Amino acid sequence: MKTSPKRLLCVLVGVILKMSRRFVLGLATIAALAALWYVATMPLDLISPGRFPSPVDVWIALRQVTFTGYANGLLYQHVLHSLKLVVFGFAVAAGTGVPLGLLMGWSRRAEALINPVFSFIRPIPPLAWIPLAILWLGIGDAAKVMVIWFAAFVPAVINSFTGVRTIEPYVIEAARMLGTPRFRLATEVLIPAAAPFIFTGLRLSLQASWTTLVAAELVGSLYGLGRILNVAQQDIYPGMIFVGMACVAILGWALTRVLAEFETRSLPGMQTARVYQ
Amino acid sequence: MAAITFDAVQKIFGGKLGVVALARLDLAIADGEFVAVVGPSGCGKTTCLRLVAGFEYPSAGSVSVDGRRVAGPGPDRAVVFQQFALFPWKTVFDNIALGLRNKGVDKAEKTARVAKAIELMNLEGYEAAFPHQLSGGMQQRVAIARAYVLDPDVLLMDEPFGSLDAQTRTTMQEELVRLARLNPRTVLFITHAVEEAVYLADRVAIMTRRPGRIKEVIDIRSVRVAEQWDRHERIEDVMDLESFIHWRTHIWRSLREEKSGQDR
Amino acid sequence: MTGGPDQRLTRLEVAAYGIAGLLLFLGIWSALSWSGAVPRQFLPTPYDVASRFVQLLSTPFAGATLQQHLASSVMRFAYGFLLGAAVGIPLGLLMGWYRALDEIVSPVFDALRFIAPIAWVAFAALWFGTGIGGPILIIFAGAFPPCVINAYRGARFVSRPLIEAAQMLGTGNARIILEVLLPASTASIVAGLRVSAGLGWQSLIGAELIVASTGVGFMMVQAQLNISTATVMSAMAAIGLVGLGIDVALRSLEAAVRRRGFA
Repeated sequence: MKTSPKRLLCVLVGVILKMSRRFVLGLATIAALAALWYVATMPLDLISPGRFPSPVDVWIALRQVTFTGYANGLLYQHVLHSLKLVVFGFAVAAGTGVPLGLLMGWSRRAEALINPVFSFIRPIPPLAWIPLAILWLGIGDAAKVMVIWFAAFVPAVINSFTGVRTIEPYVIEAARMLGTPRFRLATEVLIPAAAPFIFTGLRLSLQASWTTLVAAELVGSLYGLGRILNVAQQDIYPGMIFVGMACVAILGWALTRVLAEFETRSLPGMQTARVYQ
Repeated sequence: MAAITFDAVQKIFGGKLGVVALARLDLAIADGEFVAVVGPSGCGKTTCLRLVAGFEYPSAGSVSVDGRRVAGPGPDRAVVFQQFALFPWKTVFDNIALGLRNKGVDKAEKTARVAKAIELMNLEGYEAAFPHQLSGGMQQRVAIARAYVLDPDVLLMDEPFGSLDAQTRTTMQEELVRLARLNPRTVLFITHAVEEAVYLADRVAIMTRRPGRIKEVIDIRSVRVAEQWDRHERIEDVMDLESFIHWRTHIWRSLREEKSGQDR
Repeated sequence: MTGGPDQRLTRLEVAAYGIAGLLLFLGIWSALSWSGAVPRQFLPTPYDVASRFVQLLSTPFAGATLQQHLASSVMRFAYGFLLGAAVGIPLGLLMGWYRALDEIVSPVFDALRFIAPIAWVAFAALWFGTGIGGPILIIFAGAFPPCVINAYRGARFVSRPLIEAAQMLGTGNARIILEVLLPASTASIVAGLRVSAGLGWQSLIGAELIVASTGVGFMMVQAQLNISTATVMSAMAAIGLVGLGIDVALRSLEAAVRRRGFA
């Protein structure tokens, strides 16, 4: 039995070493990059400040946009505005796309009817709808929602469709044998069975919504993160560009996390299909 | 050819408090000997093979081939896998030739050696075929040819006929016997089919259930020679012999004990 | 209950329903436009769009004909996409094989991955002005991640016995990566290329909406400013068709790979 101080040291070393190698290496890399960034932009001035901001530049820009305001608003106002649009657009797209996908998966007639039109619309990249949206609805919020809807609608439909199609026939047969009425069949059999695919579709929808919104804001907007990026680029303000991009990344990640949380909570004990793209 | 030695080998998976696959294994396989290892499922017999192959390392004790400790996989200890493990994008020829390419063998010699291995395994005409175009039995023949062409010191076979249907299996067993007489080398053969072990091996090692150790080793060779099993060409004739049945049943009972202990 | 996932329709029925759906769609569109419920200027009839499309093939708009704009767009896309694949696939394979590399690169990769490709446009404009570097950076930002991810997954999840067999045969690391990991990951890589192409094409359009002086995206912006809806819609159709063409090409590559027996 080791003496007390020695044992304590061993435990400490054990804890430090137990941190997975992956975590330590990752941290080390980020630390090294951060150090490189600092050195390259400040004392050594390897990168011209007009091209890439130094950590100090970023800090100044962050302070400015958070407290003083930039591009007609404070940071939280821009963020809130962007988030509002994304959530709204996503909700509408999911609300229309998932049922349509489920319907097309269930009814071959519906599929045959809708497919040609859908296949027509599908290959048009969501961003390509922006000029048309602006033409029809101006550069206000409505145009953004329209574009988000197109972006998020397609993955929701496709994945819900696949979700229904991959249900084993005997599951449906069992439900019908038990005399399950149509509505209950949909809510208690179809949707739970297709759930993993539906969630994959929602994940893709959300990613698409976010990406499309930022793009739409970049093209023409009065508020939002995209607007910040736009103005910062025109002002040649690299520090602010960095802040804008970081916010885009962080919020994109956060939205995904929130959805993932929701997913794990609503599918207890079920294997969620973790697919990257 | 080389001898294989398991010296007080222990294998634990998953850290100090993990699963003890092998408790204390001692086994000596002589140069040129064909040893079959049988045991209940999960007893660690595949682990034994993987230790010699160099895919795993012992937690205690040592595994040596020809007096030298095993330090990693290599063509001196050729492996025939249960799942064949052929490269689906390479032709039969390329699959067999890869080991020689790695050794840096020149083109002429390589072609000659591969051709010989193909002839040995009755694969003539299939050099340009792809694995998915061949039946299970033929794929396993390619895998065996791939191992043989390396002229390895040791041949490690991990339930090689496990995924084949009964008839193909019998054919392959007969072929392996023929091969072993023609081209003898040290073989470690893992199987759970007792009859296969008795038919093929010089000695049969019976393993206990997990944590595994060697329960009993049976010298079949002396029986085979004494009773002249080789006089019969077909498996079914050999399997009809009293001596065969006796030892097969003995091993069965031994395994049964292990299994019932497991089920308790 | 009619319908149900277990009742297949005959080919004729599928075609009939399909045509019906299409006609319904076109009908409603034409009705809205013709009747003036939506001003003709904002919603041209399908015929208007079609004829405008044909017109654009010979008459320049915003500096060039439709196919010329398409050509410069496709060229930019090709550069960005091929660059993304050329860097992404080897990186993914190496990360799949060398654990240390994976651990070093992954955190950086994961951090950058969440930046919507289009968000790079600000830096792109700053660094490359209106040069071709800008759009290429943006396309690369879109096309790169799926290539890496899919190559990585392909390499990491190669069936163990194959790797062990290669090691048993004394295959060196470089050869294992080239002759085992790469072929075994082909299916995954090609699937990744499809996603990558889709994202890349989309990023290209986005980039052209903001920082270009030629190309279909630029054409659309000009058309929008001129309130030439038919031109906008023609451009959209062209973009959709090219995108579809790229996807179909890659899909047949995927099928060919599968047929050849690559996992």
